[in-house]
Amino acid sequence: MSPELAAAGVALVAVMMYAVFGGADFGGGAWSLLASGPRKAEQRLALEKAIGPVWETNHVWLILLVVTLFVVFPAAYAVIFEALYVPLFLALVGIVARGAAFAFRHYGNRESRLARQSLQWFSWASVLTPFTFGLVIGAVTGGHIEVEGTTVLSGAFAGWLRPFALMCGLIGLLICAFLAASFMVARTEGELREDFRRRAIAASLALGAATTAAIPVAAWDADAFASHLDDARVVGAMGVTALLGLAGLWALRTRRYRLAPPLAAATVAGVVGAWGLAQEPYLLANALTYEAAAAERITVVSFLVALPIGALILIPSLWLLYWTFSRDTLRGEEVAH
Amino acid sequence: MEFDTLLSARALMGLSLVFHTFFTPLGIGLPLLLFMAEGMALWKKDERYRQLARAWTPAVGLLFAVGAVSGTVLSFELGLLWPRFMEYAGGIIGMPFSLEGFAFFTEAIFLAVYIYGWNRMSAFAHWLVTIPIVISSAVSAVFVISANAWMNVPEGFRVVDGQVVDVNPWDAMFNAAWLHQAIHGTLASYVVTGFAVAAAYAWLTWRKKPVAHPRLALQLAMVVAAVSIPLQIVAGDFAAKRVAELQPVKFAAMEGQYETQRGAPLRIGGIPVDGETRFAIEIPKMLSWLGYGDLDAEVMGLNDVPPEDRPNELLTHLSFQVMVGAGFALLFIAGWYWAAWWRRRGVAPGWMPGRALSAALVASGFLAFAALQTGWFVTEFGRQPWVVYGYLRTADGVTEREGILGFFILFTLLYIVISVALVVALVKWPHGPRRAARLPGAAGKEAEGVA
Ligand code: HDD
Ligand code: HEM
Ligand code: HEM
Repeated sequence: MSPELAAAGVALVAVMMYAVFGGADFGGGAWSLLASGPRKAEQRLALEKAIGPVWETNHVWLILLVVTLFVVFPAAYAVIFEALYVPLFLALVGIVARGAAFAFRHYGNRESRLARQSLQWFSWASVLTPFTFGLVIGAVTGGHIEVEGTTVLSGAFAGWLRPFALMCGLIGLLICAFLAASFMVARTEGELREDFRRRAIAASLALGAATTAAIPVAAWDADAFASHLDDARVVGAMGVTALLGLAGLWALRTRRYRLAPPLAAATVAGVVGAWGLAQEPYLLANALTYEAAAAERITVVSFLVALPIGALILIPSLWLLYWTFSRDTLRGEEVAH
Repeated sequence: MEFDTLLSARALMGLSLVFHTFFTPLGIGLPLLLFMAEGMALWKKDERYRQLARAWTPAVGLLFAVGAVSGTVLSFELGLLWPRFMEYAGGIIGMPFSLEGFAFFTEAIFLAVYIYGWNRMSAFAHWLVTIPIVISSAVSAVFVISANAWMNVPEGFRVVDGQVVDVNPWDAMFNAAWLHQAIHGTLASYVVTGFAVAAAYAWLTWRKKPVAHPRLALQLAMVVAAVSIPLQIVAGDFAAKRVAELQPVKFAAMEGQYETQRGAPLRIGGIPVDGETRFAIEIPKMLSWLGYGDLDAEVMGLNDVPPEDRPNELLTHLSFQVMVGAGFALLFIAGWYWAAWWRRRGVAPGWMPGRALSAALVASGFLAFAALQTGWFVTEFGRQPWVVYGYLRTADGVTEREGILGFFILFTLLYIVISVALVVALVKWPHGPRRAARLPGAAGKEAEGVA
């Protein structure tokens, strides 16, 4: 395996991690928007408390992804950001609004008007951002962005408003909803848990339907993606993902609460993984391969050397974080007041 | 159109950086204060220190969160606004950025453990958690600043026929400007935090707001301030000497020096326009001495630089004057505080600063931020018209996309909303004993009992 391919693998893992952790986080906001029924307020509070300690780290995966892109694949970073600047700017607006709103609500005085308005901002931004990221993924994969060398030829709206990209936007949202609800099932009790269980089942069915429907849509609108559908590895990854999804559904239906979150996470990682395999050898479909986009060899190698050294610090720290807060996250003194 | 995009992109980048650097110095400095406060609580067996740390915790969380969000904005904007620059530079200065990523990650993790760990670990363990936060935040500042230093003094690559070759990421990272910028730029965070916290407490007690243990808080903050400001000025002198050597054009712009001259005078104040620095107080030969350690050293003037390669000397010079002026004013205020304390020590145990000193302390918070921001203006404006000094012009690094002005306006509005909300949140903060009384007295067992 060439160092460039290994680095592309690192980038894919970063997308996966962000989809899983960031996705659950966004999903929390989305369910907060859709909170309904007699336990509306409880649902919101539970969501917020579960997100609290980890929301910061969840988004560091995005930074890791962006940094990996511009260190190892500077040309891809430049071209993708230039070509898709409109949806990326919109995603950025969502990130800013969401992060700031959450911080105000979480650390500020929660009875204040500011806190209530923040909730609105937070929830809407939680929908906007994963949807626009989905559009970006769809556009990167769709193969409708024209590039010559590293100059973008196509217009500001190329690629990301097409059926396949919109489909990916929807999948992005559903991933978040599915993850958040499945995670909450393991973290709540009684009636509240039933609320989240019903939501998780609905989201998982919708996600299954949407990913299945994405295949004919790709055949029609995104041949760059569809042409990989005869690759055994891609088909295999999709099959495994479908099985994981079904297992997740089964765990939810049979009330195996501890199993639901890992299975949901694995399903989402599988969706991303299958997408990643179908991308090979492109970073930007039909335009830029990872070989062509890579920085000089020495930079790639230095990056790959730095990675395990960093991981040596990060993995135990992350473990400490999740371990400290997985035990009994929903106790009263949780919020940092 | 071209010009519009460039101007909007520069304005948006500058605005986002100013926004980011309002929060990040506190994200670097406040952990040090937490470390000190919790350490004092353990050492002196004085719970009041821990209550201080407890009271600061939500503010740290809030500031860190906004700082991290604004950092995410920057990492996007490098691509959205400067794709050609990143294409050129990404592979060369990526190293400090990816190491910085690790440092941020570590910081975020331990900060979460800290914030949410109040009732979950022993007082000693909780104090230990502050150590990785202090270290990783300082390290992340050093890394990101080293990337900026490379833009000032690019090294670690060659350009052959317009192609970047022979990249050495480590040489790029430890470029010649790295050391002075890393020291001076990181110390700035402690200067800002020390004075900003002192300013907040001086203001609250002056306005007779109920606050928990204002005297202890003020003492801690002023220790940080008084230690860091003299060091910062020495580091600034070192930085100026390095700039004189490595970036003579920036040096000339900083000092308003038009003519190349032996025994150049130091100009304090003054307005450099149209080839002349007017209204400045001149100290003969001083500039040659400060820049090169020799009263008769030659200082290059802007007139020897082609006009299209010159930075805006007015902005650079004025920014520099504000930074240096603020630096000495801060030194004075720190000295005043400790002199006043020295006179009352023993005599008046509950001593708090009087009116005049309180006013000066409040002003010091603003001065410290002003020094930090204008310092960056010196660095950034003084490098123009280059984004990578001597290699890539800012105009060649910018995006070819249109409508950047719209995004500039959008983000300006967003930043205004957030800033207003932040001020509201911090002003309405329950600082007083009402809140303090509800706080568990200690981390650890007894707090678990309370909760
Ligand atoms: C609290 C903040 C603060 C204070 C009191 C000072 N500075 Fe500063 N200065 C900074 C905060 C700062 C900064 C914002 O952190 C900069 C921007 C880039 C950097 O590395 O540090 C900076 C840059 C900077 C540079 C440009 C470095 C470069 O572009 O390579 C010089 C020459 C000085 N400073 C010199 C001084 C002197 C002579 C001071 C004496 C009073 C001084 N600074 C006080
Ligand atoms: C943290 C404090 C900083 C502040 C306040 C700041 C401020 C600014 C300002 C005002 C501009 C616009 C320049 C102009 O219009 O003349 C600018 C440009 C820029 N800065 Fe900085 N800067 C900071 C640090 C950094 C760092 C650490 C980096 C990179 C690692 C960086 C990278 C850039 C880039 C790429 C541009 C655009 C190109 C240019 O105008 O030169 N800046 N910054
Ligand atoms: C001198 C300039 C800078 C300093 C001192 C600085 C420092 C910091 C610090 C301490 C944090 C942690 C958050 C906090 O404490 O509030 C942070 C966050 C961040 N900064 Fe900066 N930064 C600077 C400039 C930049 C630039 C130019 C970029 C552009 C790429 C950048 C990207 C980021 C990112 C992506 C984060 C978020 C990381 C996270 O999620 O925790 N910073 N910065």
